[in-house]
Formats: sequence, C-alpha cells, structure tokens
Amino acid sequence: MASPTLHDSRGGPDKLHGEPSSQEDEDSDSEDRTGDSGSCTSASSNDDDLEPEWLDSVQRNGELFYLELSEGEEESLLPETPTVNHVRFSENEIIIEEDDYKERKKHEPKLKRFTRILKSKKLLPKRYHKKSSNNDGPVSILKHQLNPKIGVTVHQRYKDVTVYVNPKNLTVTKAREQLKLLEVLVGIIHQTKWSWRRSGKQSDGERLVVHGLLPGGSAMKSGQVLIGDVLVAVNDVDVTSENIERVLSCIPGPMQVKLTFENAYAMKKETAQPKKKKKQSNANDLVKLLCGEAAEDIQQSVLVTPHIIMYLNLQLDSDSSKEEEILYHYPMSEASQKLKSVRGIFLTLCDMLENVTGTQVTSSSLLLKGKQIHVAYWKESDKLLLIGLPAEEVPLPQLRNMIEDVAQTLKFMYGSLDSAFCQVENVPRLDHFFSLFFQRALHPARQHLSASPSAQQYSAASSVLLDSLPGARWLTLPQEIKVELDTMLSDLEAADFAELSEDYYNIRRLYTILGSSLFYKGYLICSHLPKDDLIEIAVYCRHYCLLPLAAKQRIGQLIIWREVFPRHHLHPSTESDTDAFQEPEGRYFLLIVGLRHYVLCVLLEAGGCTSKATGNPGPDCVYVDQFRATLHRLEAVQSRIDERLASSTGPWLSCADWFLAGPRDKTDGLTTSPIISRLHGTSKAKTPPTCRRAIFSDYSFKTRKPSPSRGSGESEPGCEGEGIGLSPHTTPDAIPRQRESSGSEDSGTWLKASKKKSTLPNPFHLGNLKKELSEKELEIYNTMKLTSGPENTLFHYVALETVQGIFITPTHEEVAQLGGSVHSQLIKNFHQCCLSIRAFFQQTLVEEKKKALPGRDHADSSTPASSLSAVKEHGVLFECSPENWTDPKKSPPVLTYWVVGRLFLHPKPQELYVCFHDSVTEIAIEMAFKLFFGLTL
Amino acid sequence: MGEEGSGDTVHLLCLAASSGVPLFCRSSRGGAPTRQQLPFSVIGSLNGVHMFGQNLDVQLNSARTEDTTVVLIVGLEELTNIRNVERLKKELRASYRLIDSFLGDSELIGDLTQCVDCVIPPEGSLLQETLSGFAEATGTAFVSLLVSGRVVAATEGWWRLGMPEAVLLPWLVGSLPPQAARDYPVYLPHGSPTVPHRLLTLTLLPSLELCLLCGPRPSLSQLNPQLLERWWLPLLDPLRGCLALGPRALPDGFPLHADILGLLLLHLELKRCVFTVEPLRDKEPSPEQRRRLLRNFYTLVATTHFPSDPGPTEKTEDGVRPAQMPRACYLVLGPGTGWQLVALQLGLRLLLLLLSPQSPTHGLRSLATHTLHSLTPLL
Repeated sequence: MASPTLHDSRGGPDKLHGEPSSQEDEDSDSEDRTGDSGSCTSASSNDDDLEPEWLDSVQRNGELFYLELSEGEEESLLPETPTVNHVRFSENEIIIEEDDYKERKKHEPKLKRFTRILKSKKLLPKRYHKKSSNNDGPVSILKHQLNPKIGVTVHQRYKDVTVYVNPKNLTVTKAREQLKLLEVLVGIIHQTKWSWRRSGKQSDGERLVVHGLLPGGSAMKSGQVLIGDVLVAVNDVDVTSENIERVLSCIPGPMQVKLTFENAYAMKKETAQPKKKKKQSNANDLVKLLCGEAAEDIQQSVLVTPHIIMYLNLQLDSDSSKEEEILYHYPMSEASQKLKSVRGIFLTLCDMLENVTGTQVTSSSLLLKGKQIHVAYWKESDKLLLIGLPAEEVPLPQLRNMIEDVAQTLKFMYGSLDSAFCQVENVPRLDHFFSLFFQRALHPARQHLSASPSAQQYSAASSVLLDSLPGARWLTLPQEIKVELDTMLSDLEAADFAELSEDYYNIRRLYTILGSSLFYKGYLICSHLPKDDLIEIAVYCRHYCLLPLAAKQRIGQLIIWREVFPRHHLHPSTESDTDAFQEPEGRYFLLIVGLRHYVLCVLLEAGGCTSKATGNPGPDCVYVDQFRATLHRLEAVQSRIDERLASSTGPWLSCADWFLAGPRDKTDGLTTSPIISRLHGTSKAKTPPTCRRAIFSDYSFKTRKPSPSRGSGESEPGCEGEGIGLSPHTTPDAIPRQRESSGSEDSGTWLKASKKKSTLPNPFHLGNLKKELSEKELEIYNTMKLTSGPENTLFHYVALETVQGIFITPTHEEVAQLGGSVHSQLIKNFHQCCLSIRAFFQQTLVEEKKKALPGRDHADSSTPASSLSAVKEHGVLFECSPENWTDPKKSPPVLTYWVVGRLFLHPKPQELYVCFHDSVTEIAIEMAFKLFFGLTL
Repeated sequence: MGEEGSGDTVHLLCLAASSGVPLFCRSSRGGAPTRQQLPFSVIGSLNGVHMFGQNLDVQLNSARTEDTTVVLIVGLEELTNIRNVERLKKELRASYRLIDSFLGDSELIGDLTQCVDCVIPPEGSLLQETLSGFAEATGTAFVSLLVSGRVVAATEGWWRLGMPEAVLLPWLVGSLPPQAARDYPVYLPHGSPTVPHRLLTLTLLPSLELCLLCGPRPSLSQLNPQLLERWWLPLLDPLRGCLALGPRALPDGFPLHADILGLLLLHLELKRCVFTVEPLRDKEPSPEQRRRLLRNFYTLVATTHFPSDPGPTEKTEDGVRPAQMPRACYLVLGPGTGWQLVALQLGLRLLLLLLSPQSPTHGLRSLATHTLHSLTPLL
C-alpha cells in the first residue's frame, strides 16, 4: 500500500542513489533484497559500450597491471574526477594516479557529492536539489542494494527511508497495547529490555535499534530497513526510546514519514572505532604497496632492518671500475649498504666453495651489528642472485624457499634472470617487485587483511609454511558446484562463442587458451592448468598479493596482462621421446581478471595453431570481456561457495583450548599419559583428574554428557580455576563475536560444534564412551573425522598434493570458528615446526632425485645411511599452557600435542602435516589416506 | 679458525687472524687423520674473507653448500698474546692428538653434548667409597676413575670442574697412547687458563686409569705401588668388571628393550651423559653408523627442538615465557632403512634412542618413557 506513493515522491532519486552502491559482503542477509535489479543493469551495460577504462594503462610493451578498488567506484561515476586508485606502469616509472578524493571527502559534505553525481547524470530533480542544499542533516541515501553488476561498496552512515504511515489502522489493534506505536505504525520492533548494550549508550534514552521487523509492516515493505539499524530521526526530529512514542503519536493521519536510520554497518564500525581505523590503514597499506607507493612508516620500519637483494656478475674484468659487478640491487637503505659493501665475501665464498667441495654454495650466515643475517645464494650460469634477510625474521629454510620462489617467478615473468635484471627498463618494475617481496618477508601480517583479527593472525602465522609450498591452496567443493565451475571454465576455454570463435570475424584466433584456474577469496576452486603452470601462476599471484586482496571484497576490476615464460612449455623435459607432444614455438601470455572475490587466471598461447604474436600485443578486449562475463556468471555460485566456506566440510577440527587438562603434576602427567597406559593395557590405572574447559562454557557445558572423571570432586575446583585464569586472556572481542555469529546466522554450525563437543568427553575413558555412542552416531562421526579413537583430536593439518600442485588446510572460517587463544598459539607453532620438518623432507627429495638419476650411483650411498638426509616421518611433541597464567598457587593446565610431518614418495610425492592431541595414537599413513582420498582437481 | 667438512672429509684449520699465518691444519677422512691438506689458495681466501668482513664490522659465521657441507668460521679470541708464531706452532703440536681425536670418529660424544661421558658400573657405591678414601689419603680433591675416556667414578671435587675441562680431561686421557703412569701439565680453560696444573694418571688395569688433578703435590713417586695396592687390590673384581663397560656403558644384564640399537642419555644439570651403541651389535647398522646417526640426531634435537637454555634461543617476542615447550620428537628414516630415532625430555633428563625399523612408530614415545624411567636411578 505504501509503494506507489513512495515511488511518486522520493522514489526516483533514492533509487538512483542505490544504484552505484552495493552490498557489503558481511550483510548479505538478503532481507533487504528488493526488486531493484532492473534499473541496475543500465550502468553496467553502458560500460560495455564505452572504451574499457584500462585501455590507457596498457604499456608500450603490452603489459597491463590495472587495479581498481571497489571502494572508489561510486566516485568513478564522476567523469571529471577520476577517483579510483589506478596503478599503471609506464615506461620508466610507476605512475600512481591516486587523486585527492579522500581529502575532498573530508571537506565536502557527502550530499553535495551525490548531487553532483546526479547532476552529471542529469537525473536530479530540482526539488531534491534545493532541499538537500540547505539540509545539513543526515545524508539521504539508500543502503544495501545489491547490484550484481558493479562491485561497489558504499558505507553511508545514514539513510532515509520513507514509509507510509496510517494511524487510522491503529483502531484495529488499539485494544492490545497503547505504547508500541513504533511497532504498530511503522512495523519496527524495538525491545528495550534486551537491547544491545554494547551498541551504544546514551544518557537520555536508549538508541532505537531495530531488533525486528513486523511482517507486513511498512518498514519491511520498504525493504530498506535492516535489523540492527538505528532509528535516529522521524521527519528530521531526533528520536530515542524515550520520545519515540510521543513523536509518533503526533502523526495526525495517513502520510509519508521520513525515517532516518543509522546504518547497522556504519554503527558497528563506529563502536569498533580504533580497530577499524587501524585495519583501514592496513588495508590502504596493501593497496599502496601494490601501487608501489609504500606508506612512510612502513618504509621506515623496513629500512632499518638489514635486507638486500643483489644480482652480481661473476665474470669480472680485473680492470673494471668499481661496482660494475652489481647488475642490480635493492634497496638503497643504509642498513643494506653494509651488506652490499661486503659482497666480496659472497663472491669469494661462491667461487671458493665450489672449487673445494664441488657443489654450489646455498647460503651463509653472518653477524652484522650483533644481528644474524642469512644470505641465500642462487647461482645461474655466471651470475649470482643473493638475498639477505635477518635470521630472526626469516628462518633459513624459509629463506631458501624464498629465493627459489623469486628465481622461479622472475623467470616466469621475464624468461630468464638475465633478461629480468639486465634490462634497464625493468629496473622500476623490479624495485616494485622486491619492495613487495621484502614487505611480505618482513611484515607478513600486513598483507593479510582478513575480516577478523584472528583470521589475520592465522594468515600471518601460516604464511611461513604455506607461502613456500609448491602449490595453490585448494578448497574442496561439493560435487555439483565443482561440475558447474568445471563446465563454465571449459566453456570459456573452448573459446568457441561469439567474438572468440573463428567464424565470427573469419580470421585466425589470436590465442589458444591453454587452461585457466579460478580463485575465490584466495582459494583455488577450479583449475584446468597443468601442475607446473598452476604453481607458477600461483606463485606470481602470491607475490603480487592478489589472493589476499581478493580475500576481502576489494577488487572492483583487476586486469593483468603480460607475456610469461612458463618453464613447462618453454623448457620441456629433455627425456621426452620424439613421439610425445611437441610444444609449439609460441609465445605465452597470462591474463588475470579479477572481480570481487574471484580471480581468474588464464594462460594463453600465441603461435602454434593460432596466429603468431607480433611485437608486444596488449590485452585483447574480446578476451577480457569474455573472462569478465564468465566471472559475472560465476556470481550465481558465489553464495554456495560461501556456504561451503562457512560450514566446513573438511576434516573436523578441535580447538586446543577445549583440551586443556586440569592442573596436575607434570611428571605424573607424562608418565601416566593415556598413550602409555593404553599401550600397556593398564587403562584401569589411576587416571589423573582432568576436565576440559571450552571457552564458551555456557554452550558446551549444557550439552556435554557428564564424563566420568568430572564426577570426582577434585576436578571441579580445577575447572573453576581455569575459568578464572582463562577469561582475561581470551581476546576481548572474541567472545561477543563468536556469540553473535552463533546466535544469528551461524547457529547451524555452532550447534554442530557443540554437539560435536558433547561427544568429546574425557579422552581417558575410552571404553565408557564407546558404549554411549550408538552405531549411527559413530558412523556420522567417522565421515568427517580424521583422527582415530572415539573423539576428535585433530587440531590442524596441511596436506600437499604435488602431482596436481595443490594443498589443503583448514579455511580461515574454520579456524575462526574454533577461536581460542591457546589454539592460535598452537597454530603459529605448528607452522614454524612444519617448516623445519619440511626442510628435512626437501633434503630427502633431493637425495631421491639424485638416486633416480641413472648415471650417478656413486659411492655416496653410505652418507645418507648415517646422515639424517632421508627422513620420511618426523614428529615433535609439544607441551603448552595458556599464556599469562596469573594464578601463582596453581600450576597452569597443560596440553600436550603432536606435530607430525610425513612424506610419501610412492606412488606420488605427498606431504602431510598434522597436529593432534596426544591422547590418541595416530598413524600418519591412515590420516593421509583419509585426507587425500578423493582429493582431485 | 675454520672448520669444514666435505662428504666425510673434515679439515680443521687454525689461523692467526691478525696475520693470516696458519697455525695448524688437521684433516681427517672417514674418521682417520689424513695428510691431505687444503690448498694454500683456499686458506688464503678464507682468511681474506674473514679479514675483509672484520674491517667492515661483519662477521661471517657459516656457509652451506648443497650436500650439507658446512664451513664454520669462528672468530676465536686470540690465543693470548702470540709472541712467536713459530714457537706457538711447535707448542700446539703437543695437542694434535687431542685435536685429531675430535675430528675422528670417536666413541665418545662429550665433544658434541658438552657433557661428561660416563659409564654405569655395577658396583658403583663401592668404587665411589674407595675413590673418596684414596683421594683423602693422597690429599687431592680431584680424582676420577676412567675407562677408555669415560668416567666410572669421580670425587665430588672432580664433578665440580667447569665445563670445558670436565669433558676435555677424560677425552685427553683417552686419546693419549697407553702408559703405566703420566704426569702431564694441563691448563684448565675455565678454572685456570693461565696457571698449569698437573694431571697424574695411573693405569690400574689396561684402559682403566686413575686420574688425579693436582698442584705441585703429591709427586708421582708418592703414589707408589704399595699405596695403590692397599686401596685398589681388594676391588680387583669390580675393576675387572668395569673393563667391559667401555663401549657398553651400561652394566651387563641391564634390561633394555629389544628394539633399541643405540642410546644416549643426558643429565642436563649434572652435565653427564651415557652413550652406547652396543645393544644388538651384530645387527645393521654398524656401530659407526649408529654413532653418526645419534650424533646427527642429537645435533638436530639440540639445535631445532630442544634448545638447551630456553632463554636466548627461544623467541620471546611476545614478552611471555615460551608457551609451547617441546617434550619429545621422533624421526623415521627412509626409504630403505626405516630406522627410527626418538628423543624425550623429562625434567632434567634427555634421552635419545635409535630403534630398529620393526618398532611401531606410535609406540616410540612410550618405549622411550619406559627406558628413561628405568635409567633414571642410574644417572
């Protein structure tokens, strides 16, 4: 009943406001979905007719690195002020077109900007313009219109909603209540009793948070009021819970009422003001980094740490002038100068050690101002690539992986190290490349901007290991989604439609699509690329931080185009017989198109069966458009992938904090640890009193079956002690967030979790438990559980599949759901430990490769027998207790867990790293079988 | 000073840092000393690298090449004041045997663990009593009974010796050619770096020696055969029993699990260790291989997982005590060999075991725990 009038008066302009704005990812509750999509398409379809905005950014050599952030896109509607952060590389320098729009934003009232937008579109009715110009009140703008075509995010703090109110309807319901005019008239439910305290306190009356919407009420009909919004004004009269009823009662008869709301999202941001600020600056850091313009403070903090990359020429003429052997070096900072000046040491070592030992030097360690620096060497023909980083920031095994990655990426980008370093025009690009590289190495947390700090912590902790794994992070998806994705990519790769087909223009195709791979929020979800190509592309993306960038919804448009030199195609293994497929002598191009969370990487081949590429071709619009269209199509699947991300279907994980055993004598605990008692059949031996405490005790304690040992009186005080001890050091906002998520949209998963925990009683009473579990329960249990034994003891895992070049590990969401302060410590430790375990495996693989070489079975076989260079399994047992244990009377509770790495050489090399509680004996092979089973691209 | 290993060749090179004059260069190949020396150019380059770095305030510590070759350059504090390089070189010759024994394949492990190699005698208390009485009678506080470089029993005073010398003295005695008695001047790097002490050794039985560390008194002649007979003849049988202990370290019949091929037990506070690779001698791998495996494993465990003092090595960036303490670790070698190594730390004791492939991997820790408990009363 309200809708017609709404459209008549204010609907027009409001709708237009809504257009550019888009849905913030977290709020995709679909409550506010209304049929606005019709008008939305106009803008994007206009887009297609225009010249692509990235066209100007293509460099002379054909390369393109175009990044447009979604945040700026509202402004891009203003033709006279380009507002997005464009990154583009020109001939000799990187030009960053970052306008001063942020400055302007501060000074200029938001409304003015919007009127300008509208004016520019010639859509603004005069009436509106007049009114708004003398109105300093909250800006009127619609929020949360999902525009499926444009990736725009607008966070406006206030929004106006016009609703039709008819007090005459009151007569019907009058008898019931007299006070709830807000509910009856407008259809907004606000409950004073359980109002969200944290959302804001005001002395004079409470803020009117929308707690619910009355079905059929005008607020719901408007489709613009969201739960969580705060009603701040009615017809420009400020309202609180105190005066709202009075204000509403003044409405004489049926009329349009303007309700002004503070956005739910904006308010959340406000309450978390300091954090948000920090996060935002971080976010900007990443962008600035990508733009090649690092923020001052980052630069500074990095510059004081000694680090260097040098590319040296080993072929020296004795009469050459000084520093001629340095072909490239970065950075120019003072701390790095020192390392540069001692390059003689590196050159000498490289030369001498090779003479003496017959093998090449790989690394050396030196002390510089009391700081240990590792220097990794990479020798190629007569050139030497050196990377030096402080030992405390980057452990040696990681550094060696890093230099290999750098060499691999540079070769992928430029063909060879020589062509990368020895061409003058590459210098600014390399500077950018290495500034990114060192940022990543020295401040791993900076580039991981996940939604929550815990996820960010997880990313930073795991990057030590994951960044060096030869593979892409894989997300296992349900079969039907996978099939859908596969079909879409296959369709794309077939390149047989419209402008891509040869019939269309009747000319040869420009490129053959060799394969494509699709990333979603940094996870690889579909790949049709050979393993080597996939790894190279993944390393490239990792280097340019594309994946963390895509993990947040920050990509408005990303187009990367460059010629690449995939090793797999250009240097095929020499052993292949002549019957095998011969790689055509073509050229290869990488096209990366990003949109929102999706990044689509496509490897194109020119030559071969397509027309030969001449010169430095730029990205072809037809291809870019097709790929973008594919990404647009993929948005249909997005919600289902998100669903998968939210509800983990991977192996079930436990949080370490649940397992913290009660205080007990340390040695006693170790001797009577269940592992032993079980092995020796003395399970009836005295079991130490233990209790496990979940952080959210109110959830878990209710549902948990009483475990036998909890009956003993001793364990109770232990429990309480822990409760007191633990509470101060759980991250302050962790609990509310968790509660919230479990309370509202996530309740399904949380229920599962608590149910899971209910079958998680004392590990020391295995026999009892088995009886309690029914057959069916066990069955369900086993499908998602990796560990043996009745309860789930798995904390974390990383599984690397080298044949397909992928690895799997718990998603950010899964880890975030577990939470737990001890758990995050454990994860950090796990990755560091795995790094050193993996160093052994890498050595084993090298040995194996040597053995496999036919003509080289020299008498060295005695060395591996006594050295530890052939390791297939390595496990470390850790003991941990909550940090900041404040109770001096009690010893902190202790948790013991294994970190086990296992290398499989046959039938194909696989690596598995697991972390599990010590109570159950695990056999790594079995776990690996369960994990790798059915893991296919 | 530089040290370098290539394959199984090890070179130890000592240079005067200031002048670059080589003081000595010892090499060993496959555990035996060789005459093969580093080429002079290499020596020159090594010194050059060190000098160059020193001028620029940079100290090179180590470098690695592909097959785990390690070059260690340790800036040793100069051997006091080198007045006469040639004389110093001559003097250093006396210690070649000791140095070579470090480079070679020793049966001991004290050089690596910095713990005194010990054996567990079957009648320890009896020997201990006699030793104390003998020490009192001779008026020396520092007396020990050694069997092929391992300590069988020692007086309180001897155990109080500081770290380098406590390991070095038995090692030195073990490396010297057999003699009935010795009177040997020694500097104690920790306790008395400038004033030499006398190390008296008396061979009671072949490879079983009585050591006294003393000042000017007593003279060797004071320790006459009558005195020795009076104290030690009654203990002839227990002493004979000690002879076999050399490589075995543990008394006969000590119950060890059948899968154990090698064992290293360290007491981290007392700085003593028991090291043996004798169990199931006839099985693969050879004792040398077992020793090398355990040595390598110890290096791994001590450097990466169980840093000896948690203070400096542990990263305490968060300003809290390390919350994640490693307690045990294991390694399964392969492919082909399948030998397993396990390390377990309980309190002040650290146990490392080499196990045969048939031992189940998931039972490693319990096996180690049991072994450690049965060994606890001994050390």
